[in-house]
Amino acid sequence: MTRPAIARPTRPTHRPAPRAGRRTRLAAVLGAGLLAVTACGSTKATSAAGAVDASDWSSVLAQAKGQTVNWYMYGGDDVLNTFVTGYVADQLEQVGVGLKQIKITDTVDAVNAVIGARQAGQNSGGSVDAIWINGENFATGVQSKLWNCGWPGDLPNSKYVDFTNPGVANDFGVPVNGCEAAWQQANSALVYDSSKLSTADIASVSSLIAWATAHPGHFTYPALPDFTGSMAVRTILYDTIGGPASLSGPFEQAKYAPAATKLWTRLNALAPSLWRGGATYPQSQAAVEKLYSDGEISAFLTYGPGAVGAQVSKGLFPASTRETVPAPGNIANVSFLAIPYNAAHTAGALVLANVLQDPQTQLALYKAEGIYPGIDLAKTDAATQAQFAAVPISRSVLPLAALTRHAQPELASGYVSRLEHDWKTQVLQRSR
Amino acid sequence: MTILADAAADAGPPTSPPAQRRGRLPGCVRIGLLLTPALTVVGVFFAGGVAQAIAQSFGYQPSLPGARISTDAYTALWSDPAVRASLLLTGRVAVVSTVLSAVLGVAAALTLRRLGRSRAWVTGVFQANLAVPHLVGALCMLLLLSQGGLLSRLTHAVGLTASPTAFPAVTNDRFGWSIIAEYVWKETPFLTVIVLATLSRGLQDLETAARSLGASRSQRLRHVTLPILTPALAAGSVLVFAFAAGSYEVPYLLGRPYPATLPVVALQYYNATDLTSRPEAMAVAVLITVTSSAIVAAYLTILARLSRRAL
Repeated sequence: MTRPAIARPTRPTHRPAPRAGRRTRLAAVLGAGLLAVTACGSTKATSAAGAVDASDWSSVLAQAKGQTVNWYMYGGDDVLNTFVTGYVADQLEQVGVGLKQIKITDTVDAVNAVIGARQAGQNSGGSVDAIWINGENFATGVQSKLWNCGWPGDLPNSKYVDFTNPGVANDFGVPVNGCEAAWQQANSALVYDSSKLSTADIASVSSLIAWATAHPGHFTYPALPDFTGSMAVRTILYDTIGGPASLSGPFEQAKYAPAATKLWTRLNALAPSLWRGGATYPQSQAAVEKLYSDGEISAFLTYGPGAVGAQVSKGLFPASTRETVPAPGNIANVSFLAIPYNAAHTAGALVLANVLQDPQTQLALYKAEGIYPGIDLAKTDAATQAQFAAVPISRSVLPLAALTRHAQPELASGYVSRLEHDWKTQVLQRSR
Repeated sequence: MTILADAAADAGPPTSPPAQRRGRLPGCVRIGLLLTPALTVVGVFFAGGVAQAIAQSFGYQPSLPGARISTDAYTALWSDPAVRASLLLTGRVAVVSTVLSAVLGVAAALTLRRLGRSRAWVTGVFQANLAVPHLVGALCMLLLLSQGGLLSRLTHAVGLTASPTAFPAVTNDRFGWSIIAEYVWKETPFLTVIVLATLSRGLQDLETAARSLGASRSQRLRHVTLPILTPALAAGSVLVFAFAAGSYEVPYLLGRPYPATLPVVALQYYNATDLTSRPEAMAVAVLITVTSSAIVAAYLTILARLSRRAL
């Protein structure tokens, strides 16, 4: 956001500009505008057949040599950024592939970039080679036919992936159909200050809500459509309707309406007890975590429970910070790597996807971030499983077993986007 | 008045000798050619962007099957409470910020002019602020004014407030005080520097002339100083207004998700994962362009009348 430079203020004379100059200027602007409009021709939908044959892995490696992959990913997690520009980049360098991490605040920015390229008719040589993605953004790309498909099963390391796992086969209810490769699993958790909340307070979602009502202003969640805010609302929804089972499968209005009505009633009853009396909500999860480190709130839900230990050791979070999974359970999902159909460096992106599924990469990621692997540990050898078991974790962080014991699936993205939309009208716009 | 006008004509800096004619191109063509590169850039990116936004706001989405040309996006906007609330907030923030920055900027410039040797130093402080990005300014406001911020901790330390929440909520507030504070903090020095540039020696001569003709201090300010400042101040204020109405990061960091300023609403729509709301996002962008242009045009018209009457 830069301001255009300003000409030196003129002396207060009122000499009109020469008319010819004005006409020239008008002609130039009109001409340029016309040029721009005619340049945006309509695009023909093309089939997403990358010129790379993933089933011939040695040729993929040969093509990838010398390429630099532009990897678009959410950049709000410093620990993960260090892992990507360090460990992952080093692994790629060993096979002659460069990595450029493009940090974005929201995955939808990368999807928008690919859509923009598609609308401009750029069907090859695109600037986005890979996106860390899942859920609605993946569904949007399916809707607009943005993905290169049919390659994940060809990755050498895909032997460690359990393709029969519903969380890997379906992404928020949308069939993956070989259009993205699993990378990591996220499990939600409640982060709280144990000096302010007792074990009884955090036993269940209901007792957490009771605590929040008794201590107004000390709990909140980011405004939807923030990813974590959306999860927080779904966590309360699961508690309200007794789990996700009644909303399984694709979106159905008849199932949605009664569940949503109950949810909005409960959230609106809770709102006055939230931060700022529920009159407003933080804009992002980063803002929520800042409120926690400032001591304005005492508990929050997160999708990155593994990163909390690092925040405590840096002194950003109080040492009394702990994590738990309140009953009836947390929400788990898998996130993926997708390759746009018009990527300039498809071979390099395939090599990246393969490196990410390597058990050693998954182990390093778990060590750095406590991120649960997207691969199936049961498919790895005993030595790798022992390495995972031996990773020490911070006292503030939950062990893997506790994080995954009560994991519940995500809803179909049709439900998620409806919840996000209706939350705005039913909760946010009624806040006073 | 004529005496003053003559004085103004005399008081101007000596005009430079006429530029030597190079080549045989008439002046207007030469100027046109010199301006072409810059105008092409502006034309392609600005006019092209606006044209794209207008086309998409009417539903032009070639990559989406089943998209059709319609005015649905505009009807949807009209019925969206988020947009209605946003118009009010955006107008309020932009008007209050511009007026406060203009008043403070003129006052600061007139004060700076009277300073003696410390003038350069103080002006330097004002100019240093110009280099600070709005994003940094907004974050500073957050660190300073939020309930967990510096001021809140200070008032808590000296016992004025019992808890962080007892400090008034001026960030993420309904009115937009901290957004206004950031714009005023950032734009006042900008307008000060612009106004200072017009307070030339020529103006001092005019003021001296008016004084010798018996004009009081307030008359000199009203009839001599302000009219001379007005065109530059107007140009600067229009920029400030357009910026305050169209900037994104400051209201995003310091404002609320609802009601949010128009640029924030536009991005909320634009980032909706459902592509069918893309036309609405572009319709908001068109709305911002149209309202800003209309207000600026009205402002300039009023100002032209004012400055004519004053002179």
